[in-house]
Amino acid sequence: MHEGAPAVSRRNFLAVAAASGAAAVATPGGHAEAQGVAALAKSAPVQAPDHAQMEAEIGTPIKVAATMAEPGGRPGSDYMVDVLRALDIDYVATNPASSCRGLHESINNYAMNKKPELLTAMHEEVATAMAHGYAKVSGKPMGLLFHGTVGIQHAVMAFYNAWCDRVPMLVMSGNHVDAAHRPPGIPTTHAAQDPLALVRDFTKWDDQPGSLQAAVESLTRAHKVAMTPPYGPVCISLDAHLQEGSAPAGQIRIPKVSRVSPAQAASEDLREAARLLVAAQNPVIVVDRGARTHAFQAMLVELAELLGAAVVDQLGRQNFPSHHPLNQTSRARGVATAADVILGLELNDFWGIVNSYSDVAEPRQGRRIKEGVRLISINSRDLFLKSNYQDFQRFQEVDLAMAADAEASLPGLIEAVKAALTPEARAAAAKRTAAHGTAVAKQLERMIGVDATYAWDASPISTARLSAELWAVIKNEDWALVSRDVRLSNWPHRFWTFDKPYQYIGDSGGAGQGYGMGAAIGAALAHREHGRFVVNLQGDGDLMYGPGALWSAVHHRIPLMTVMHNNRAYHQEVMHVQRVGNWRDRGVERAHIGTTIEKPHVDFATLARSMGMEGIGPIVDPADLGPALRRAAQIVKAGDPVMVDVVSQPR
Amino acid sequence: MKRLVMALFAGAATLSAGLTSAHADAARGREVYTKVGCYQCHGFEGQGANTGPRIGPEPIDVEALKSFLRNASATAMPPYSEKLVSDGDVADIHAFLASVKKPPAAKDIPLLNNR
Ligand code: HEC
Repeated sequence: MHEGAPAVSRRNFLAVAAASGAAAVATPGGHAEAQGVAALAKSAPVQAPDHAQMEAEIGTPIKVAATMAEPGGRPGSDYMVDVLRALDIDYVATNPASSCRGLHESINNYAMNKKPELLTAMHEEVATAMAHGYAKVSGKPMGLLFHGTVGIQHAVMAFYNAWCDRVPMLVMSGNHVDAAHRPPGIPTTHAAQDPLALVRDFTKWDDQPGSLQAAVESLTRAHKVAMTPPYGPVCISLDAHLQEGSAPAGQIRIPKVSRVSPAQAASEDLREAARLLVAAQNPVIVVDRGARTHAFQAMLVELAELLGAAVVDQLGRQNFPSHHPLNQTSRARGVATAADVILGLELNDFWGIVNSYSDVAEPRQGRRIKEGVRLISINSRDLFLKSNYQDFQRFQEVDLAMAADAEASLPGLIEAVKAALTPEARAAAAKRTAAHGTAVAKQLERMIGVDATYAWDASPISTARLSAELWAVIKNEDWALVSRDVRLSNWPHRFWTFDKPYQYIGDSGGAGQGYGMGAAIGAALAHREHGRFVVNLQGDGDLMYGPGALWSAVHHRIPLMTVMHNNRAYHQEVMHVQRVGNWRDRGVERAHIGTTIEKPHVDFATLARSMGMEGIGPIVDPADLGPALRRAAQIVKAGDPVMVDVVSQPR
Repeated sequence: MKRLVMALFAGAATLSAGLTSAHADAARGREVYTKVGCYQCHGFEGQGANTGPRIGPEPIDVEALKSFLRNASATAMPPYSEKLVSDGDVADIHAFLASVKKPPAAKDIPLLNNR
């Protein structure tokens, strides 16, 4: 949305519009054109102008495109809604944009705001984050409707997050390409020759179709591209003249939608992988964005148990039950060092498994694992890569690289492993499973029985205490966490039992701030129809990028418990600045400058209340936390969002 | 890790002239601890986090602490020269860490038992 539209003689415009009616004048661009016309007028006519007056004001109307005035025509954007319905798009998040008004109106009045339903966001970055979180729970894309220039410009970083996190979303943006006929003023300022060039480096595909038939085909193709692993965001620029134009009923054909079958690894390579894994003394499976659907987790459990393989979960998704005896995530370093075969599933950074990098004054690199360890990779990222942005990480050579979707390849791998397993190998696997289970149980006992007790009664409240208090409130609910917990020292993953495939969705992907609240709302929306109790552990700095997200949660009545991990800082950056001050030996007392969120403190409960959300806190005394969370839980169970502001330890 | 640090710097205690915690000021130590950023990675009570290990209560020996801070560049922790944190500051930080209240036993914390 733009600010500062030029003053338009409103009465003049309305009069012109009234005189022309919906059909009388084939005014290209409709409303915006008329605004431009009206802006020319010196005085406001009291009466409707006749044809001669109109000509005097606007010149002879030139017909530039079919419009809604076409006899028997259907609005172009109604066809677009037909496509969205064919694609099973339930929601379109938008921040209203004049270049999208045709499609916006079609959703309101043709779709009657049902399938798709519009979600109002107060910033395109928030809208995109909503689509991001939603897709990771529902497994399908949300539509997004933005201005082609200023709207896309607002959304850019959030697209990058989605790209890095391999999340599908269908972005639709408006434009006025035709310089000879587009409205002057702001619509022209907001027009671009190639509006999606800005995001081409980190979207999977984009198009700017030139006709209505091409538009419906492009939308269908875009959806197919987005939903082919590796998933990713796609963008279609839908010119205003296509949205606001028309075509006779039956003239535009909506393409049939077919499900895309994801690429599976070749069976001989899966057999070779199985042979290596079965022969290994210490097989390790490292997984990042493995779970593309809810079917993945059970398959990975089966594979790991067959092999007695340690699983290191990089927590890009809900890949593996948090307290399964083979979940060795908290012992990652040790098991990687002991490994003789490592299977990487949808890893973004295999190099980081094999090698270490120390962020010290003179950075050190070294090999983390033994020489000769056999490395196997199944990764859909190998099927699709772009050049400019470096999210693909450093190159890691491996022994067997399968450019394929890990989830689609697991059934074949499991069968190959079963075929290769001898009774001795099965016995060895059982022994390993027991040993891994004992080691991790001991470690858990120390973490919960000892580590968690330190600073138990402290204020600011410890992240262990916060996680334990929260667990007591949610453990008997059908709960899901919709944020990452690394900034709480992973206490929830140590403490809570994550075993259902929908209980966790990973993080932003690109580590771009301003993701948390929007993604939580989108995810909670997808959980809503299942009646799940949804928790968002929210960073304070992250929320302040787009606090308007709170309003959207209330407006659309999305039940969600947001617990503010309020450490009153961009804490990661506090530590970074501190480090450099130490290294340079010139100051360790000014790291707070430009990094902390103090003087004044943000009162998040009041912020929430200002947008109609119940806000509780700030909670400073740990004794107050349990009651606050219990009160918040009642609000969520009644179907509403709530914010609990907890003044917390940094990590 | 604690054992490694102790081993690395055990020699230091005998060599240096020996500031003891007896002269040190725990209240001032808490202030310094916060001001020079120890809290960022170790928590306000030294309880530890995924950014730095637990360092209190029962901290390593004061001389070992001093040596560790001065030589931390061999580790993932940024070093603190004497210019940044004086020997007196280190003694006060040590006194603060030693003064941190011992936590309740896990068995006395119901939330840690009914998982
Ligand atoms: C930027 C983060 C950071 C800051 C700031 C920091 N530390 Fe550390 N500290 C660490 C890390 C990480 C380690 C673990 C080092 C390793 O094992 O390689 C550590 C280790 C230690 C240890 C050794 C603990 C053991 O038993 O192994 C002590 C003692 C310690 N820090 C004290 C301090 C004090 C006192 C300050 C402030 C003057 C401080 N640290 C500031 C990150 C930090």
